[in-house]
Amino acid sequence: MNRVAIVGAGHSKFGKRKDVNLAELAFESIKQAVTDAGIERKEIKNVVVGSAGGWYEEALPAVVVNEYAGLRSVGTMRVEAACASGSAAVKVAHDSVATGESDVALAVGVEKMTEVDTMTSVELIGRAGSYMWEFENYGMTFPAYYALYAVSHMNRFKTTEEDMARVAVKAHHYGSLNPNAQFQKEITVEKVLSSQVVAWPLKLYDACPLTDGSAAVVLANEEVARRLTDTPVWIKGIGYSSDSANLSKRDDYVGLTASVEAGKRAYQAAKVTPRQVDVATCHDCFTIAEIMAYEDLGFCEKGEGARLVREGQTEIGGKIPVNLDGGLKAKGHPIGATGVSMMVEITKQLRGEAGRNRQAPIKNGIGLVHNVGGTGHYAYVTVLSRGA
Amino acid sequence: MQEEKQQQPTLHSRRSLTLRFDIPISRTHEFWDALGEGRFLTTRCTACGNESFPPQADCPRCMSDRFEWVDIGREARLVTYTYVQVTPASFVNDDPYTIAIGEFANGIKVLAWLEGVPVERAKVGMKLTVEARRSSEGNPYYVFVPSLPS
Repeated sequence: MNRVAIVGAGHSKFGKRKDVNLAELAFESIKQAVTDAGIERKEIKNVVVGSAGGWYEEALPAVVVNEYAGLRSVGTMRVEAACASGSAAVKVAHDSVATGESDVALAVGVEKMTEVDTMTSVELIGRAGSYMWEFENYGMTFPAYYALYAVSHMNRFKTTEEDMARVAVKAHHYGSLNPNAQFQKEITVEKVLSSQVVAWPLKLYDACPLTDGSAAVVLANEEVARRLTDTPVWIKGIGYSSDSANLSKRDDYVGLTASVEAGKRAYQAAKVTPRQVDVATCHDCFTIAEIMAYEDLGFCEKGEGARLVREGQTEIGGKIPVNLDGGLKAKGHPIGATGVSMMVEITKQLRGEAGRNRQAPIKNGIGLVHNVGGTGHYAYVTVLSRGA
Repeated sequence: MQEEKQQQPTLHSRRSLTLRFDIPISRTHEFWDALGEGRFLTTRCTACGNESFPPQADCPRCMSDRFEWVDIGREARLVTYTYVQVTPASFVNDDPYTIAIGEFANGIKVLAWLEGVPVERAKVGMKLTVEARRSSEGNPYYVFVPSLPS
């Protein structure tokens, strides 16, 4: 198998993007990524588009995006792994380069979630599980799924609403330093605790927003990567797993088994341990999700996630800085774009280009992307590295 | 590239789309029939003995299509819950609701609404009873209610 490097990265402004349609939004990232890589578009033979869809007007996003960007006759597909669609797109593009099918491939993540009304978006995400047994009669919502985990975690490990609020405060702090983030303002624990309950114990400020956004990465084999750049970021290992559609079929509600499995497989593939990771993005669609991710990925023991937040261990200067881009919580969560956005963030971190006041110290040259689809229905963990 | 600028011109599409699904239930319709009679059944594979909920005609453990219906009783224990205050578009006419996962004695877990107790008084571990309901459209469903003290 060929080594595969990220040689170009692009990222749109995240937010309520009423100024652009789907293709225009994707183009912002594609143009940046191709320019950053310094390649000609004709070198790209394979384009994989991650998008969950359903809330925007186009049914075939891959061809619409490719046409607009002048990417003709490419091998292409849209992939879906719910909120991990972006990581899935990178995985498929990675494999086409790793196997030698293509020298250069492009992974694009794009989502437009604000073209329908908010309650329709809530409906579409709520159906992401088992429609028949958990939505039809009971109206599950995305916050409700994670609230079931939050209640269990609180009950088992004495995790508190304040602990979860601290995750949101951290996210907004780093979001305020990221010009691409949807939310640019600092918040306080009090503000989180006094915000509207959406699915108790989760409140509005425990939740990521609905977001329009795109991100793109250019992947290349070693030969092309060496020609293009002195700072390739290598995809060292990918692990992915899944769990039941019905939440009722899960063994427990204090962590995501799919994350644990994906993490193990990624660490093994990359031959690294959690201790070697310099910087990570964790899937914080809700504050409780970030706390569980620390535990599921081995950054701490099960039940210790809240302590990590209380001690500031996941901020710059701590044991393992997490979500220095503001995370899904403050940067925004355009479902299909999120995984690719995380790859862009870790690429920039490893290159030392993350920007003022939000650059992690890089010692081992190892970064990790953790991207969950649904409520642990899918999980992807990707380990990236810089250097030779 | 302006965020949250409300004055951006958009084209409000002329075409709208309503989706309503006819979901086949013929292979496990006995579940819904029994529910109407107040019994809560699920499937047990007659080849390997595996019990599944939701009921399924094909065994996920051994792939056999031979199964029987078993009554799993009505008593469960509250595993976790949430109170949904912001509801999806198609639940706009429903009041906020409590969603619970209950575990039956045989280990099977079921997700349903929890009625008859304010959410502040719900407690992990409390005893629940499953009850049949019928929607205003006539569709059968089930909910949990707190068990009466015995």
